[in-house]
Amino acid sequence: MAVCPVCNAKFDSGDYYTMATHFINLAEDSDAYHVQWINRNISRKKMDITQFTSAIENFYNIAHGGIKEWIINKFVEQFRGENPHPFILKMQSYSKPVMMGYAIEHYFFLKQWVKSCSIIISKTDLDDVQRYEIENILSEYYGRGRKKPHIELLLEMGEELGMDRVQIFATEPLDSTKFAISRWKEITNSCNWICIMAAMHSLELVANSKLNNYGAKYDYFNPGMLDSPLVPDSVKKFLGEGYKSDYSHSFRALDIIAKYCHDYNMEGIQDAYLMSAYAFDRYLEARMERGEMFENQ
Amino acid sequence: MKCLKTNNENGCALCDATWGEYYREIENEKMFFCCNICADIFENMVNAVKKETGWDHIDSVELHGNYSKGRNCTATSGNNTFRYYFRTYSDGRMMEFKKL
Repeated sequence: MAVCPVCNAKFDSGDYYTMATHFINLAEDSDAYHVQWINRNISRKKMDITQFTSAIENFYNIAHGGIKEWIINKFVEQFRGENPHPFILKMQSYSKPVMMGYAIEHYFFLKQWVKSCSIIISKTDLDDVQRYEIENILSEYYGRGRKKPHIELLLEMGEELGMDRVQIFATEPLDSTKFAISRWKEITNSCNWICIMAAMHSLELVANSKLNNYGAKYDYFNPGMLDSPLVPDSVKKFLGEGYKSDYSHSFRALDIIAKYCHDYNMEGIQDAYLMSAYAFDRYLEARMERGEMFENQ
Repeated sequence: MKCLKTNNENGCALCDATWGEYYREIENEKMFFCCNICADIFENMVNAVKKETGWDHIDSVELHGNYSKGRNCTATSGNNTFRYYFRTYSDGRMMEFKKL
């Protein structure tokens, strides 16, 4: 089954003609979110149905490099390429309000994250998958030995920036975060383990420091921040930890997906990724929006 | 009647995309946009320029950039010129607007 990453409309597997028709019809109606997706992922230049069907086929083509490279290439292009996500640009210099926004919205992201990881465990008997997810949950949510979990580093960052953690827990996430979480819930409830894995762990590519060979033009954040006396220690600890761990987290997950993908519907895995990346795009905007709210206070 | 012109002559007045079929009258000009969000962004931008400059009308806007990095623009009104940068959220709300 193929799925429209914008509105979740479903099409028969490989039926790119019907999917193309769906996009063209909605573009003719000037549906903003479909037009935006086409402009950013296919072309800003109008095409006829034959050209568009061919473009969609190319978009899904994994002949070069398989599913791992396809996901990395798509992610890099959308978030860290020539025209990166605006949040990545914001992270090229230290901004206290942006990091405060990050602390609040990301708390809710991590609450959903751990649910998604645990549901992956519940949906498979494969040892390497379960082990990977348990390790991920430990590092993100529980901690390992003396190492604090990512969520604790996030909350400590929020506290050093002047927020109480109780205030963070009690804050209502912004609409874009709510939208993203509801989509991740939907993916987690309705998809098999490998699709959930593609949807969630591909997002860790955002902080992967080894993406230059895939065309990344920007680091997740300016690495100079880790040495800057102007940046609080808790921010350095939080960003530094993700910078170190998300490299192995994201590549290991994609290796697992590549190992088992041939037993599953490839298009389903691609669609789960696209649905999640679309939500992630909106969620990153929420971090900026929350930051702007602090800036205007 | 004075009308507003942009350098995006082939498609959407904001992003130059040729998809869509959305029109809105802004500054006495029936302008083509690929979607209502681009129209909202353009209209908000025009209002921000008029507020910043005190102009009662804009003759032209030249836009360079995109949704990711924002847009560097030059607006004219008669003999006056105003250069600025702006960026929006994907739903069209203004994120940043500054005079250059």
